[in-house]
Amino acid sequence: MGRTVSALKQAGATALELGFPFSDPIADGPILEAASGRALRHGTAWADLLVASRTASEILPTAVMTYANPVLRRGLESAMKELSTAGVSGLIVPDLSLEESLPWRGAARRSGVALVLLGAPGVSNDRIRRVARASRGFLYLVGRYGTTGASAAGTSVDLAPLVAAAHAASPDLPVLIGFGVRDRPSARRALRTGADGVVVGSALEQRIQRDPSPGSISRWLRAIVGARPDRLRNGQR
Amino acid sequence: MPRRYGPYGGSFVPETLVPALAELERTWRSARRDPAFRRELHRLSTTLGGRPTPLYFARNLTRRGRGAQIWLKREDLLHTGAHKFNNALGQGLLAVRMGKPRLIAETGAGQHGVATAMIGAALGLRTEVYMGSVDMERQKPNVDRMRLLGARVIPVTSGSRTLKDAINAALRDWIANVRTTHYLLGSAVGPYPFPAIVADFQSVIGREIRRQAVRSFGRLPDLVVACVGGGSNAIGTFRPLLSTPVELLGVEAGGRVGSHGAASLSYGRPGVLHGSFSYVLQDADGQVAETESVSAGLDYPGVGPEHAWLKDSGRARYVAVHDHDALRAFHWLAKDEGILPALEPAHAVFAAVGAARRRPKRDHVVVTLSGRGDKDLAVVLRESH
Repeated sequence: MGRTVSALKQAGATALELGFPFSDPIADGPILEAASGRALRHGTAWADLLVASRTASEILPTAVMTYANPVLRRGLESAMKELSTAGVSGLIVPDLSLEESLPWRGAARRSGVALVLLGAPGVSNDRIRRVARASRGFLYLVGRYGTTGASAAGTSVDLAPLVAAAHAASPDLPVLIGFGVRDRPSARRALRTGADGVVVGSALEQRIQRDPSPGSISRWLRAIVGARPDRLRNGQR
Repeated sequence: MPRRYGPYGGSFVPETLVPALAELERTWRSARRDPAFRRELHRLSTTLGGRPTPLYFARNLTRRGRGAQIWLKREDLLHTGAHKFNNALGQGLLAVRMGKPRLIAETGAGQHGVATAMIGAALGLRTEVYMGSVDMERQKPNVDRMRLLGARVIPVTSGSRTLKDAINAALRDWIANVRTTHYLLGSAVGPYPFPAIVADFQSVIGREIRRQAVRSFGRLPDLVVACVGGGSNAIGTFRPLLSTPVELLGVEAGGRVGSHGAASLSYGRPGVLHGSFSYVLQDADGQVAETESVSAGLDYPGVGPEHAWLKDSGRARYVAVHDHDALRAFHWLAKDEGILPALEPAHAVFAAVGAARRRPKRDHVVVTLSGRGDKDLAVVLRESH
């Protein structure tokens, strides 16, 4: 775990999204769904998440991604405190809508965890502004209609207006695009919208399955990092 | 219409679905005030569906109970063989109103899938139904019926390969195709506004019970009984009676003796599954439990949020009935009344006979017989040997 995260850091990752498995991951495509299932069959528990978070967060700023129920089962306040104590900087909950997020935002603020909200194509500019103002750490912008994953399923859309609306509403909040970003061309496309970065998940999971060595992971990520905005646009943001 | 029932309900969904849920809510609100929509719903309910369904006095089953009179609300006589017709018709018409050319649905027992396939054919909408591969095997006749009605049945092989996983798959499809597709959710579960819409379209059951009870025995029943998986036939039965003194009893699937079966209200605790906050069978880390019931339609670890609130507030009571007792009730109804019920309402029949036994002969108990048993013959023959 530590070696993988270090390899990612050396190859240019600026932060880590660490997934805690859930039995019913409705926002995830086949790759992360299968990964979730494998982790649960191996008995992955909340305590393991805290251990992994401690290791990871010493190397890279770490945000935990999981669904609403494991956090609620723990209790909002205690879950946030435990994550914070384990060094976690952010929490991403793909089935937490703006409407349900109020008590979550309070608990996260009290523990010093950034609650990252998600934006998506198809929502109004007004809504993306409200989401951007409520989100902490960064805004996670879903890059297309569809679940996570590297497959061609799902349609891409023009995200530039949403990115601009989010930046206007919350100028200091970075906008990161995820879902369907898998390689250099897709990362470059995502960054052309004016976004500040990308999140890559399923493609990394696939890479780890094929060859989990730090060298392999590092080579894979370097190819994608070549698309970073500071290289593309001399760091405008 | 409330977003929440007490603390339960709400809308825990990926942001991609938010615009579609808002559109669905708007469309439904305008449709239920539109006389033309209501006329069309009524016309198809009666002439295509066969409403109203009768309220039948089960004389021999009453004799078996040796207590209160037992009456059956015959949703099993509805077109496609179950109460699922009511909701499939209503939401099908909403899909047309929204201009969405494609329907997707999940199904457990296959009754909701068949109802959706039927309404897709009748309204000219392309229809695809997700079904767990375990359920496809045990409810084979319904798989064939869906296909003959022109729907594509997509096997779901992840997780427990039952209803819960079929809903996951349908939600993922909806996330990807939300602009052209309506997700015709079949039970009173899921994010707002689904529980409210499904309860609205199913409430015709309880409204008819009210009317027919007064006509048949001069007053409201003392107790109504319905089975609860997600809880759509039960909420349809209960809702129009909430403001009356009628006692409400929901019956969950208790599975085999010694297991928690699929009884989320009896053995679960509050959590979020499929977009709403309600009782969920889950472990200490919030992972959703796998369920086991002889009836595919009740084999679900969650339950509609309104039932969670009816339980907590004490307005309704919920009990669990084991597989073998449901099978006994299946045979009682077959031999006493000449009716083959689906295994789902057989759970309710068992609880109703028990309740009738403890009540005086002047009392009236109404059981919603939510579906017919043709789909279950193979399971019943295997389990009853």
